[in-house]
Amino acid sequence: MHELLLFASVSSHQHHELLQQLTGLTAMQPRHSLERRLIFKATRKPGLANTRGGASQGADIVRLNKMLNGQMFYTQVVGPVSEADFDGKSSSSESQDASMSGTDEVAGSSYDYDSQPWKLEFRDIPEAGIRSTITARLAASAALPKGDVVPSMNAWGYSFVTEYVVEGDVFIHNDIVIFLHRVLQYSVHPGQEPHEPRRQLPSFRELSPLERTGSYILQAAITVQDGGNQELMRTASQHLFGLREQLKSAVRLEHADRLSLDTRAK
Amino acid sequence: MTTPSPDQIKTLEQSRQRLIQLTHSLGSLITSLNQSDPLPSWPSLQTQASIISNNLQSISTHLSENHELLRSISALPAPEFPTKTHGNTLEQLLRTKLDPRVEDWVSRGRKADNAAAQNAASSSGSAGMFSTLPSATAGGLGAGVTGAGAGGLSEGDLAALWEWAPVEANAEARKRSWGGNFTLEERERGIESVVAELGLRRVLEDDEESEEEEEEDMDLDFGGKAEGAGDNAGAAAGEQVSPVVPMNDILRYMTTGILPAVR
Repeated sequence: MHELLLFASVSSHQHHELLQQLTGLTAMQPRHSLERRLIFKATRKPGLANTRGGASQGADIVRLNKMLNGQMFYTQVVGPVSEADFDGKSSSSESQDASMSGTDEVAGSSYDYDSQPWKLEFRDIPEAGIRSTITARLAASAALPKGDVVPSMNAWGYSFVTEYVVEGDVFIHNDIVIFLHRVLQYSVHPGQEPHEPRRQLPSFRELSPLERTGSYILQAAITVQDGGNQELMRTASQHLFGLREQLKSAVRLEHADRLSLDTRAK
Repeated sequence: MTTPSPDQIKTLEQSRQRLIQLTHSLGSLITSLNQSDPLPSWPSLQTQASIISNNLQSISTHLSENHELLRSISALPAPEFPTKTHGNTLEQLLRTKLDPRVEDWVSRGRKADNAAAQNAASSSGSAGMFSTLPSATAGGLGAGVTGAGAGGLSEGDLAALWEWAPVEANAEARKRSWGGNFTLEERERGIESVVAELGLRRVLEDDEESEEEEEEDMDLDFGGKAEGAGDNAGAAAGEQVSPVVPMNDILRYMTTGILPAVR
């Protein structure tokens, strides 16, 4: 599965207007979306295969080795949440006490970490060169079991790095998914970086945008099931360029810096 | 006495042609002023004036180019000239002095020219040739020159004015902050009275007020939306802030969790 992407930076004062413009363009109301995103990083090579197995075994073995001994990647675990999950009380000392004493977070918050659905999203580094005017990358997703994902992820050789919340609105325009979003961070006291995903969520008001001025990112994406089909890829690119033309007077959609979407773990 | 060469005749003929053109255009201007009611529109007057001025210019160049010849040439009646029937024309042609009216025009023109020193030479050159011209057309030319010269300011004064004006206008403009259809003084006096005073027919919006209104509207919009997003959105609302963190850094954070500042 391949993703073709264009991005644009949207300043906060333009956000409201752009929402209306997109509503008009796509003839649909924005679908508000809130996601918890956990970032995991591969800590060890996924597998150890004997690379000197002999040349006679052919191309399959070469490919297998490449997969197993290939580069390590960052990967994301995404869980949809709703604003109701962000309960004001959970950050108060009272509810911290409650959770420490093991009386369960249900007392203070409606958010139930154990029934949080998760999805694993893998994104390759964008392809180099060929389509320099558009960001194209290999993408794959898979559903994960509900609840605590950390043990499973650890077992696969991934360790938790950080988490944030993505707030935004989704529009669908023909085959293009338009996502106008921004990153919200949890307020973290210095030196108290959590080493695992939060089991409870703080009040929504305590989240602060990563970009202090509150700007948004507009992402236009087309997913192509068969990335090897050049015809499909070309059509998809043209659709994105068409959207870029339509939005030209409002925002400037462009491809992202390839290295900023580099998911390889060094 | 020598008979004039074909070249000299040609020159004289050209002078005549141009003067005819000039009298024609002057005549048509006079007729249009006399006859049309209401007066001809500004554009048509302008067009006629520029035609006349072109005529004058071409005559002036022509005369100064052939200065020598026209100065030295003099008219004498041939024996076969029909003196009895065209005595009037003959008298005009044989005049050595200018018609008193024309004399007046020329002296007025000279006076105006003296003020503009640079123009004096060419003007007196052309004025000096009037002796060889039929008085009626010379009068027309003289009047044109006088009209042009009576502008008031000399070239030097004009140049000085142009040098002074842009600097001064700029300095004056910098003293004020611009935007809006009314000055602060006018606003203090009350816009209605100013409008009545100036006789403004169209109601000009007072920009300052409408801007304030717009800002309030924006605040309301953001206020409504900010309910969910919390204070952070409210803080940024209303101001036109461009993002400080580059998009690529945000994308990098989203991909790998590396904070923009840390890099």
